[in-house]
Amino acid sequence: MLYLLVFAQAHADFRIPELQSVSELYGFHIGLLENADPSRPFMVVELEEEMYARLLARRCILVKAVCEFYARGATYDEVHERNRACRSQWERYVPDTSFKFVVSAYNHSIPQRRQRDVVESFSYMDFLGKIDMKSPEITMVVHEEYDDKHGTTREKHEGDGAFREVFFGRLIEEGSARPLMKKFDVKKRVFYGNTSMEAEISLLMANQTLASPGKLIYDPFVGTGSMTYTTAHFGAMVFGSDIDGRQMRGREKRPGIIRAAAQYGVDQRIVDLCTFDVTRNPWRCGGLFDAIITDPPYGVRAGAKRLGRKNRRAKDEDESRSRPFQPSERPDDQPYIPPTRPYELSALASDLVLLARYMLKPGGRLVFFLPTVTEEYAELDLQTFLCEGMEVVANSLQDFGSWGRRLITIRKATTQQFPPPAFDPDKNVLSESDLTHVPAHKDFRQKYFEGFKKGKLGD
Amino acid sequence: MVRLITHNLLACHVKGCTSNNFPLQFKDVQIELREAEFNPDFLRNFMPRIEWKALVDAARQLGDTSLPEEQPEMVDDEFLQKLHHVLLEVHVEEGAMVCPNCNHSYPISNGIPNMLLAEHEIG
Ligand SMILES: C[S@@+](CC[C@H](N)C(=O)[O-])C[C@H]1O[C@@H](n2cnc3c(N)ncnc32)[C@H](O)[C@@H]1O
Ligand SMILES: [Zn+2]
Repeated sequence: MLYLLVFAQAHADFRIPELQSVSELYGFHIGLLENADPSRPFMVVELEEEMYARLLARRCILVKAVCEFYARGATYDEVHERNRACRSQWERYVPDTSFKFVVSAYNHSIPQRRQRDVVESFSYMDFLGKIDMKSPEITMVVHEEYDDKHGTTREKHEGDGAFREVFFGRLIEEGSARPLMKKFDVKKRVFYGNTSMEAEISLLMANQTLASPGKLIYDPFVGTGSMTYTTAHFGAMVFGSDIDGRQMRGREKRPGIIRAAAQYGVDQRIVDLCTFDVTRNPWRCGGLFDAIITDPPYGVRAGAKRLGRKNRRAKDEDESRSRPFQPSERPDDQPYIPPTRPYELSALASDLVLLARYMLKPGGRLVFFLPTVTEEYAELDLQTFLCEGMEVVANSLQDFGSWGRRLITIRKATTQQFPPPAFDPDKNVLSESDLTHVPAHKDFRQKYFEGFKKGKLGD
Repeated sequence: MVRLITHNLLACHVKGCTSNNFPLQFKDVQIELREAEFNPDFLRNFMPRIEWKALVDAARQLGDTSLPEEQPEMVDDEFLQKLHHVLLEVHVEEGAMVCPNCNHSYPISNGIPNMLLAEHEIG
């Protein structure tokens, strides 16, 4: 059966990966049509049962509604012809089902008058039930799709009727996952920081991990915990660790991440938070996690050579003018001075994939953000951090212009056991000779601060 | 926090400390019991990863003797309830975890263990 998906106007590149993750999570197949174009707001897909369409509506952050699909066309004549041809699909609603029609448009607003005309044009369907605008048994939907008028403003009804395509179907269910964006709004959270990840992306990331009850998920750069809340919301148990205890704690006695998790009713699903450098980690064994979800740092390495306590004290004194004194013996909530050894992004990315291969269960997923230079990015960049047994499932760009970040989803496609990564401090910065291909994300930090000037980086 | 599930997964990682570095010994602990939702699927999935003796010993050290010496082969609901309590409902809020081999002490404050090493302790 064919179903019509109506997408929210956001993150087009994340749409198909999300659909595929949610279908994999629930164990059903989603058939994409040959001409499926995820940049368009409407998509017709094939599903075996209506229930699967409902599951998509309940779990996909980017799905606004799911409909039973009847017809599409470049003109209303085409739509009506095709709709007549699939009469068997809607025939059962003819005798006595209350109904209403909703006519709407993407990138356009249709004048009331023409909306009425459009509804009238479907009168051949001969629905005998009563029209019920408040709570009808069925809602028939007509969606006109207009091309984006990039940047140019248009009069309200200008170009009315000059749509690219019309879609017609019966509404099955409105998306109910999308409102979670409000629930997880960072600004309404009792604890957040300047590294917090926006709600919508945290939810999309959680879906890429296939988070569900019974699973154990880990964020090794947990910071203020943005993704722990969304993964826990979907039922998973979550571990977090960070090199900087203060990121996780905030100012009160009870750790900030626990307070925020409690606000969402999932504090018991935060298994624990630990302070450590992930390149010097205390995990006793691998194969622990169903997923690793993280937004890695792409600034300064904290790791290979961390400053010892002595140095830290000395530095603290220098900074005492700008920071309030904290009379605490606990190293991890003292003012934290980031170690200055750089952790170059291409080295970090390779380490992270190796760590995931060690720490994930077979079939587990690594979901992380890779910042990169939009113009220089090449498909081949991903090869520079993949290793045996790890394969890319999805790669979605969030575009900020000259730079962007890619949400990469990688699956551990092996049952073989691998050793933990060496986190070799001498490989702290991968030299160009280590790489057969130099990825655009290499030296990202430097490129970022240089404003992505074209050409060679100065040394 | 530091629940016993976490304690069961952390080993001392001081440079060169590679044997007898697990399990860490609790010291001067303050404990809180907090109810958690019972999640049998999670427990079943996690069971293969447990170092059983370390878990039983840690629980006893904290005054809980409900678990059997040997990991049972038959996993029934009653056992899962006990396991649930030991793994997830016992929280060590303050104190330290000490390495039985090199004596490194990892402090726990407000439930967060500090597993960071000093410069001379890393490779
Ligand atoms: C981009 S932030 C993650 C933000 C997080 N997603 C949030 O919601 O706040 C990166 C985090 O990595 C931590 N970090 C940096 N280097 C690290 C290391 N070597 N090991 C562990 N954590 C590290 C930083 O303290 C920072 O909190
Ligand atoms: Zn030790």
